[in-house]
Amino acid sequence: MSERGRGSGVAGGIVVAGALLLLVVWPVAVLVGNALADGVGPVAALASERSLEAWRGSLIVATAVTALAVAGGLGAALLTERVSVRGRGALRVAMLLPLLVPDFVAALSWQQAYAPGGLVDDLTGIGAPWLFGPAGVILVLAAGAVPLAYVVIAAGLATRAEPELERAARASGAGRLDVWRSITIPLAAPSIGAATTLVMVTSMNAFAIPSVLGTPDGFATMTTRIYRDLAFAADSESFSRVLALSVLLAGSTLLVIGAADRFLPRGPIRSAATAGGPGSAGRPSWWAAVPLWGYLALTTVLPLIALLLTALTRGIGLPPVPANWTLDHFAEALGGRFLPAITNTFVLAVAAATGALVLGAVVIAASRRGGGRSLGSAVAATFAIPGTVLAVAVLLAYGGLLRDTLWLVLVAFLAKFWALAHRPLQGAVDLMAPDPVRAARASGAGSMTVLRTITMPILRPAIAAAWLLVFVFALHEVTMSILLYGPGSETMAVIILNLQQLGDPTVTAALAVILTLVTLVAATPLLLRAGALRRFGWE
Amino acid sequence: MIEPILVARGLSLAYGGTPVVAELDLDVAEGESVALLGPSGSGKTTILSAVAGFIDPMAGELRLRGALVADASRSVPPERRRVGMVFQHYALWPHMTAVETVAYPMLRGGIDRGRARADAAALLERLGLAGLADRRPSELSGGEQQRVGLARAIARDPDLFLFDEPTAHLDTPLRAALQQELVTRRAATGTAALTATHDVAEALAVADRVGLLREGRLVQVGTPAEVYERPVDLWAARLTGPASVIDVMVEDPGDVGRPASVRIGHAVLAIPGIATAPGPRRLLLRPDWVTLGGELPGVVREAWYRGPHTDYRIETPAGSIDVREAGAQRLAVGTAVGWGVRRAWPLVDTER
Repeated sequence: MSERGRGSGVAGGIVVAGALLLLVVWPVAVLVGNALADGVGPVAALASERSLEAWRGSLIVATAVTALAVAGGLGAALLTERVSVRGRGALRVAMLLPLLVPDFVAALSWQQAYAPGGLVDDLTGIGAPWLFGPAGVILVLAAGAVPLAYVVIAAGLATRAEPELERAARASGAGRLDVWRSITIPLAAPSIGAATTLVMVTSMNAFAIPSVLGTPDGFATMTTRIYRDLAFAADSESFSRVLALSVLLAGSTLLVIGAADRFLPRGPIRSAATAGGPGSAGRPSWWAAVPLWGYLALTTVLPLIALLLTALTRGIGLPPVPANWTLDHFAEALGGRFLPAITNTFVLAVAAATGALVLGAVVIAASRRGGGRSLGSAVAATFAIPGTVLAVAVLLAYGGLLRDTLWLVLVAFLAKFWALAHRPLQGAVDLMAPDPVRAARASGAGSMTVLRTITMPILRPAIAAAWLLVFVFALHEVTMSILLYGPGSETMAVIILNLQQLGDPTVTAALAVILTLVTLVAATPLLLRAGALRRFGWE
Repeated sequence: MIEPILVARGLSLAYGGTPVVAELDLDVAEGESVALLGPSGSGKTTILSAVAGFIDPMAGELRLRGALVADASRSVPPERRRVGMVFQHYALWPHMTAVETVAYPMLRGGIDRGRARADAAALLERLGLAGLADRRPSELSGGEQQRVGLARAIARDPDLFLFDEPTAHLDTPLRAALQQELVTRRAATGTAALTATHDVAEALAVADRVGLLREGRLVQVGTPAEVYERPVDLWAARLTGPASVIDVMVEDPGDVGRPASVRIGHAVLAIPGIATAPGPRRLLLRPDWVTLGGELPGVVREAWYRGPHTDYRIETPAGSIDVREAGAQRLAVGTAVGWGVRRAWPLVDTER
């Protein structure tokens, strides 16, 4: 804005444009170039039975998961935000917990809990053979996506659709269900739409759960097909199919986002009413919380317990009782064999978090100073590129140069997580009132002093949150790293997925438990912050 | 005897676990307008929320038109209470036009869609809001939003109106206009109303009776003239308008038709209507009860010209008093001035 700021803004703009070019534009261009250079190969590959199967699989999964998860998320949001439930604060934080379980850990833990020979089978004799196949893929993906939909819809309900509007409807003679139908849900339409888009894109791009639960049954999606063709086949037909399915997957994702942008209700509907008072009438009740605690117990707690028991029990087939418990599997998991992977995981996560944070800050600096919002939008758009596609693109562009190094994975991580770091920072900057900065300038502070003494301290929580968010995502990441790793650059997630395919459940379980615990510890500040914010903002 | 519209007996209310209102007794009669006047946090809005059914009482009972609607164990939901509420922040639904908003309570009453729309349009027409029918809240000014809010409450055809600080968020000139409109419209429906407000001018202007609310307790209920002229204590006096307090000696309390003799400093004045025993007393003086140009001595300390009238603060041996006089400022600060008392009210408490 100020004349003096122009120079640094232009420099920032150049940095952002250069990084976008290197991390995203060039790899995607190479991918598209390869597809075009392949002639009729990709077109023929698309028409093949395998491609159609994978395409159909992705479509079924995305549709069914979206329907289940958005309905579940909406129900959960109504319960916590519009019904007087007991323990509302704890419930809100608990609903975020499933998001912290890496998706491949979720798949493994469901398997240990519900598959034939799992914990529930041991206890009651009821196993679920259908867990392997489309039904299992859909159910586990949907269970994991419910919190995603919940977070978006609950945030919409919490910041908007104030109780006064619903009270006005009650006072006009509408019953509770009537109010939900005629006031609450119409007002929440933008956030329900956003949740639908988010869940649909996420489930279409999901890899680990279809891979663990679908592949044994022969059920393929686009992401698992690409992985198998790239990792286990060497013929040119498979490579053509990789290119074709990558373009198709990216295209489908863009189509969903584009359609959402075009047809869904947009932005918050403004109203003069402000939040205030409890969300609903009546005394807090326990019954309303039962479905949510039940959901958490069945989809997250019980599977994780089963996983933990598998990791603790001496051998497969032994009953998981204390007499058979041992820490040997944990010792093996932390032993020399897996140490490089553990180190790789942390090095990558720290590098990705720090790099994405710096890039995010540069975007803000560049766009604040007349660089325009378009840079921010461009960065946000990169997040929409499916991980599988991005990994294939990065592999084609830099595979020769960076083969078998962590750098290859890091390039993909930075490209993917840049937007993740940028969003919370941008949000905090947008919320920041101009007055503290103006007051500091009026008090005689220069722009750098203001940045150091006023802006940074105010933004510190957002900076920490952005770093941790990327860190946690990088710990979880498997979709891209499974395509990009080489000898010496495996991560824990890659090791777990590979071991699982080799059929070594005990050490796999131990590694999965360790990774989940690390994630939980890293994410605790994020959760506490979310809880604290909502308590102040809402209750 | 006709059953009052609203009866609250021993009503105790909590808000988020904190007790807010304790053992409230309150009646609103058929066609009567009652205002609850109190500072913020005194429990006005909480009482309205309880009457509407948004908050359930911890103890006591609430009756609407004779029927028990809430006690410590049971509560009739808001939609079955027939109250028409007007909210402080308007609470218009952003996804509905004015006519849809007004039709909403009619639809809930079981009228079919076409009829409700026609009736809502007719109601807006009657209220002079026909031009706003197809606008959404974002296209309405604050005053227009609140008029639509009132129309919605009228459309409910309620037993009782609840006005929760209905004009608090409007600019001063608009506020007066909307207050008048609320009074006229409500009077036209002949329906009882309970208004929560922290604005004394609003309370005195809109109500047949005013309840003074202090920390969840009613300290006084009376007509606007009663609470203004005969407040129960100094707190009530300060709540209901500008209040000056002077120390005097009542020599003769007077009687019907015979004014009291009151010594203020060295002078003895005859003041009507002071029913209190002889002895040292503290008198409440309202600015309009004092005349300038009497026998008591004083000095002008401050003066504020306000257009139709001028407010003076006079320093006197008996204490500092505020005086209101019609017209422009005619006394400079520092001028010595005599003053007299047309009317006064003895305060029972000694708290300053």
